Amino acid sequence: MSEAPRRRIVILALGNPLRGDDGAGPEVLRGLAAERDWPADVALIDGGTAGLETSLSLSGYERAILIDAGELRLPPGSWRRLDARQVILQGKDGPTLTLHQAGLAEALQLGEALGILPAEIILYVIQPENIGWEQGLSEPVQAAVAAVRAAVVDEILASED
Amino acid sequence: MANASVKVDVHHITRVEGHGNIVVDVQNGELKQCDLQIVETPRFIESMLRGRPYGESSHLTSRICGICAVGHATASLRATEKALGVEPSEQTILLRKLNFHGEMLDSHVLHTYMLVAPDALGVGSVIPLAKSAPEVVLRALRMKKLAGDLCAALCGRHTHPIAMTVGGFTHFPSKADLEALRKRLVDSRKDVEDTVNLFLQLKLPAFERETEYIALHKDDEYCFIDGDLVSTDGGKWPVEQYRSVTNEYLVQHSSAKHTKNQRASYMVGALARFNVSYEQLHPKAKEAARALNMKPKVINPYLNTVAQVVEIVHCVEDAIVLCDKLLKKGVTWEAPAKPARLSGEGVGSCDVPRGTLFHNYTIHDGKVTGANCIIPTGQNLANVELDMRALVPTILDRTQEQITLALEMLVRAYDPCISCSAHLLDVRFE
Repeated sequence: MSEAPRRRIVILALGNPLRGDDGAGPEVLRGLAAERDWPADVALIDGGTAGLETSLSLSGYERAILIDAGELRLPPGSWRRLDARQVILQGKDGPTLTLHQAGLAEALQLGEALGILPAEIILYVIQPENIGWEQGLSEPVQAAVAAVRAAVVDEILASED
Repeated sequence: MANASVKVDVHHITRVEGHGNIVVDVQNGELKQCDLQIVETPRFIESMLRGRPYGESSHLTSRICGICAVGHATASLRATEKALGVEPSEQTILLRKLNFHGEMLDSHVLHTYMLVAPDALGVGSVIPLAKSAPEVVLRALRMKKLAGDLCAALCGRHTHPIAMTVGGFTHFPSKADLEALRKRLVDSRKDVEDTVNLFLQLKLPAFERETEYIALHKDDEYCFIDGDLVSTDGGKWPVEQYRSVTNEYLVQHSSAKHTKNQRASYMVGALARFNVSYEQLHPKAKEAARALNMKPKVINPYLNTVAQVVEIVHCVEDAIVLCDKLLKKGVTWEAPAKPARLSGEGVGSCDVPRGTLFHNYTIHDGKVTGANCIIPTGQNLANVELDMRALVPTILDRTQEQITLALEMLVRAYDPCISCSAHLLDVRFE
């Protein structure tokens, strides 16, 4: 009888592909899923737009990697790797980062209050050019998607050593 | 207190869906203004339906709301089916009822635990509640997850029932799906009992006002889909006559219309259903009602939330009954029932979590030529304002903060879905 796999890493993409570059997160996830067969202890989840139940998706994992488009006040296509706890859980006075921050911040605060969050939560944020009412990513964001995908792959592989 | 002057101005009341302001102005004990201003813009869903093929209506209108998507889709489908002479099969009817219970549970758990309980427990939101009573919040999330999974198993997706269509379904739960759901429902009885116990301990304000309560009713079941409109003031109307019950009219301070029937206002929702159809509740729900000291006719609007707790008990128990019926019959793949004609007019009505919902369509040669949707929250607005007008003079001796909280809790008790209601709680202390 096989045991349930260790819940080592969860990769959660947030974003709405109908809102231009807000679809960056799901596009990164799509690329990750296509790139290789990930072992059973790595989960890929398309989280849509964050809600209170988002924190349930992260529960039980050792590490979480969240990917989302967000306002970094940087040129389109820029991206950053951030510690979600520092950015969202403590930095209440900071600028609103993502379209989903109100949902994501609340979701993470709730998860933290319930004590169900992973010890480490990394947030990859991609600066959008356009989050209007259309499908498709702008060129700078397409480049960022490829770069973030590579960075996430490296991060997962490095953690396996 | 004769000389009290008080202004309450809540711009965008929190912990309700949508945007509303509470404006109350009392000068020297005299109530000058008492409004629930709906500032949400209308979204012209009815216009969007015009010209579209009839099969799209339920998919478009389910997007009116994320929490009542199944409710809108079901009312929409019933309107189309009546317009075009479509007779759903017994299996379709059972599946739709079970699906509806899933949404009722999801909505009621969200409202009772995350929107109302924080007030009654003296905390600002569900997050401090998670710190002080994590098991309570985890229970709510667990119950919501079951409700969402139930919907997903039946209509293909949680939120926006993609598998519901005119005449039936395009996806069917397997025997294993139904058995698993039945087991989870049975296991959730402990959580349901804990929910009743929680609300036994919570103190909600004691305020009463006589009003008219309206709900869909059938003699042989606690009814959420189809039925006749019945009033606690007496009267029974087929849903086709909904306009003679709703009597919509415009008001200056609100982008949503108001309604009235035999009095200046009426109330719809869980409390209305409880008052109209108490006899039809599942015996375990009646037991919970007795424990919670709820006996029709209840005229305290704050107890709408407690009526929702009674409905949580009813829906879990009736969902188990429906699973048993479906498992006994065996769910089989069925093509959706076909229309008898491609032109006609129909009214579909459901009693969704917040109350009576109407979809009225005219269809010509398969395309929608007209649509009218009347949402439950819009039907409650006049009643909320009259409640506020009656409540404020009785609490003028309290602090501004206490008065504001009492008014916010009153609006929240109705579980308003404001975005939906604007089709065409500024408590301003001046």
